[in-house]
Amino acid sequence: MRAGWAVLWSKCAALFHRRTDDFDDELRTHLAMLVEENLRRGMTPEAARRAAMVRFGGPMQIKEQRRDERGVPIVDTTLQDLRFALRSLRRHPAFATVAIATLAIGIGAGTVVFTFVGAVLLRPLPYRDPARLVRIFETNPLKNWTRNVAAPANYADWRTRTAVFTDIAAYEQFNSTGSGASEMFLTGFGEPQGLKALGVSGNLFTVLGAAPLMGRVFTDDETFEGASRVAILSYSLWQSAFGGDPAIVGKPVTLSGRRYDVVGVMPRTFFFPGRDVQLWTPFGYARDLIPRSRRPHWLGVVARLKPGVSFEQARQDMNRIAGELERQYPDTNTQMGVRLEALHESFASEPRTALLVLSAAVGLLFLIVCANIANLQLGRAVSRARELTVRRALGAGRGRLIRQLFTESLVLSVLGGAIGFALAVVGQSALTRFAASAVPLFAVVHIDRGVMLFALALSLVAPVVFGVLPALTSARREHVTDRTESSTRETRGLRNLLVACEVALSIVLVVGAVLLLRSLERLRDVDPGFNQHRAVAFTMTLPSARYPDAAARFNAFAEIERRLREQPGVDAIGATSTLALRGFTWTGDSTIEGRAATDYERELRHMSTTADYFSAMGIRLLAGRTFAATDTRDKPQVTVVNQALARKYFPGTATEAVVGKRITFGRPQDNAPWVTIVGVIADEKQDGLDKPAEPTSYATIAQRLQNPLTFVVRSAAPADAVVAMARRTVFAVDKDLALTNVTTLEDVVDGSMEGHRFRTALLSAFAIIALSLAALGIYGVLAYSVSQRGRELGIRLALGARRPELFRMVIGQGLRPVAAGAAVGLAGAVALTSLIRVLLFGIEPIDPPTYAVAITLLGVIAIAACALPALRATRVDPVVALRDE
Amino acid sequence: MTEPKSDVLQGTLDLMVLQTLAAMGPLHGYGIARRIEQISEDALQLNQGTIYASLLRLQQRRWIAANWGVSDNNRKAKFYSITRAGRKQLAAQTDNWERIAAVIGRLLRLSEGR
Repeated sequence: MRAGWAVLWSKCAALFHRRTDDFDDELRTHLAMLVEENLRRGMTPEAARRAAMVRFGGPMQIKEQRRDERGVPIVDTTLQDLRFALRSLRRHPAFATVAIATLAIGIGAGTVVFTFVGAVLLRPLPYRDPARLVRIFETNPLKNWTRNVAAPANYADWRTRTAVFTDIAAYEQFNSTGSGASEMFLTGFGEPQGLKALGVSGNLFTVLGAAPLMGRVFTDDETFEGASRVAILSYSLWQSAFGGDPAIVGKPVTLSGRRYDVVGVMPRTFFFPGRDVQLWTPFGYARDLIPRSRRPHWLGVVARLKPGVSFEQARQDMNRIAGELERQYPDTNTQMGVRLEALHESFASEPRTALLVLSAAVGLLFLIVCANIANLQLGRAVSRARELTVRRALGAGRGRLIRQLFTESLVLSVLGGAIGFALAVVGQSALTRFAASAVPLFAVVHIDRGVMLFALALSLVAPVVFGVLPALTSARREHVTDRTESSTRETRGLRNLLVACEVALSIVLVVGAVLLLRSLERLRDVDPGFNQHRAVAFTMTLPSARYPDAAARFNAFAEIERRLREQPGVDAIGATSTLALRGFTWTGDSTIEGRAATDYERELRHMSTTADYFSAMGIRLLAGRTFAATDTRDKPQVTVVNQALARKYFPGTATEAVVGKRITFGRPQDNAPWVTIVGVIADEKQDGLDKPAEPTSYATIAQRLQNPLTFVVRSAAPADAVVAMARRTVFAVDKDLALTNVTTLEDVVDGSMEGHRFRTALLSAFAIIALSLAALGIYGVLAYSVSQRGRELGIRLALGARRPELFRMVIGQGLRPVAAGAAVGLAGAVALTSLIRVLLFGIEPIDPPTYAVAITLLGVIAIAACALPALRATRVDPVVALRDE
Repeated sequence: MTEPKSDVLQGTLDLMVLQTLAAMGPLHGYGIARRIEQISEDALQLNQGTIYASLLRLQQRRWIAANWGVSDNNRKAKFYSITRAGRKQLAAQTDNWERIAAVIGRLLRLSEGR
């Protein structure tokens, strides 16, 4: 064993000291001694020298043999192959350029997709032992809940009864979209600044196992009212608002008009539950709020599995507790179940399918790239056959030739990979800018070591995929005479097979891309239910410190709305508790007058708006009226409902007849006051353009105030000017208020399609590249074949074949592999596209027009690729062709 | 040249070189080659050059060491000598060789006797 290491060491050392070897001297001495001996025996000097050489056995062979023994032969020959490969590529710049560029695209595209996959699916979350973290949702078939936020009292009971979690933490989730964080205002540092703040239970950071960069995390006691108000800053907020002040811990800050002490700063990598959250504060609830809140749901829940407890055991135990609670509190917990999700999977559940589809697509693209280069190499191999057979004749072994061809492939691939990596870096940053909201809030897309390793791995795998076939066929030829028709025919067959593969794979990509494009088109055609043009929106939260009651808040909102309406250029203004396409905030039970006492609706969405909201948004009124100034606090409660509610709650009733009906916001036994429906409006989209609107009841803020409100200002003026005007107006009312979520309605609509647009753009790009590569492959094979068949074509012409016939013949020859590949590809597309069903909108995966478009596109491109060689075939001059040779 | 000569097995040559150095003390390449030829009474087909591959192998395994010195007739030559590891190896290889030789001998006699 020791000897083995010694050998290895000495061999490696020899690699670096090849020039200092003094074997030549030693050899010379030996030969001289042999000559002397022969001279002593009485030979002539000439004969003595020759005899010495014979006895020694050929100095060159000895040197060669010794060199093999001395260094590491495979390294030596590889270096030799490497030099040779570079030389040969330099001699064929056209081939090298096309091959390297193709590889760069393939590897670059693969790497870009991987940066997203890595960021979203692979990179571990920045918590201790993140695989042990579980998210808990509530489910309820009666309410169509599959992953709902939890009721605080249920959360509290889980915490005391659990046998499987070390601890369970909770955080506020007031909105159905985004991180669910709420607004806080930082004042005292220049202009008031709106911050995304998240209320959390005191044990959250402990459950996550996240240590602060500075200071401390919260304690369990701080969860409740009475303890001093404390806050933990995110790294980015600490940097941006406090200039990275190293002494920030312990300093007081004013948030929404209240004093908080900063107790900690989290590290740069930390986030929870999204990167947009800038600040965490304990709930600060009264001690009895949690145990008595079993009906409203607003808590996100995350828990850590005890060591040794499996996910399945945890699920069973939580089901047990949910069952106990159901028996104990039938009033609120009937059919209330739980759903457990691993934290990372849960965060990534939405983008997962899209990313997997993109990965599959880029995998196909990579195969096409490899097939294309294999094709190019096969084409080159025929013209190289002479060189290879000569090398073979000179004694190069078959394995040696394969290795050399392989080294060439590797050189191509590594060069392509390097450029591809650069492309990926550029592409990645462009994509993240182009579709920022397509990336889930928790992920940060950047190039890290994993991405680099992936690009490297692709560069190393590629030559195995594309290099083996050409290397095997090239090295098989034994003799120079083998360079005959039969071997080129065999190569041509292989190349046609590769073309067919390329076509088949491209078809799959094209079908996928067209399906997504058509979905996007359908999505764009969807009526959002409001007028998205020339309107800006912004959110305002009134801090409860200075606006303690509903009356004060109503007055402030009304005053702001009134002043904005008076500004020049403002056509309309209104405000709502949840803007269209931003999901929902509150839901509840609802009883419809006249139904049986046990029959009630369980998921009614509540919104509060100002009287003019509907006209400001451009939402159509279908029946009745919208709110009026007379619908005040002391008048009977009224509501405007959307069409979805009218259809679901009053099936078979004409829309006009719904006006005047009464509902309550509660179950029959709650005896809530009756609310009269005064109007029905068209649905505005809430959860996305691709999702139907849910039954929604609108109240006027005069009767049901909500805070925050989102204002919509309709004006022909440029958005920036409108926002600046709005900001001035609001500050004039209260200089400590801030505008947040400032946007145009067009951007809201656009943003809701961003994920869809992102994957459509990527997949379309892949499909275009795939088609170009396939076209290149078709062209390459046919062009080569025409150049080889010049003589045959000449003879045909001389024998009276007409040129259009030749043209058709060549085209037909070129299209044969295309047709075969297309058939296979279409079958593959049919088999595969059902996988992307969830990504489609408004069309089925088996969509005839899509397939028609794909086939037409491919046909046009294939014929174009064939036309050039076919034209060249018709221009063959029979005389020249026959004289050739 | 009419006498039958045997090719030398690679491992065998290493063993012969080790034995030569153990018996004769430090020698240069020519000396080792001459010595092996003499002992085998020219029955072995040996290109003298081939011992250099063997010398290199043994050196890489640290079983022999090499130093530049001056030969009897004042020529600069590399002298090889056996190391302690080399002697151990030689002893082990000798045992091994004798065992194998005995087995092969028996085997050949056995087939003759049939």
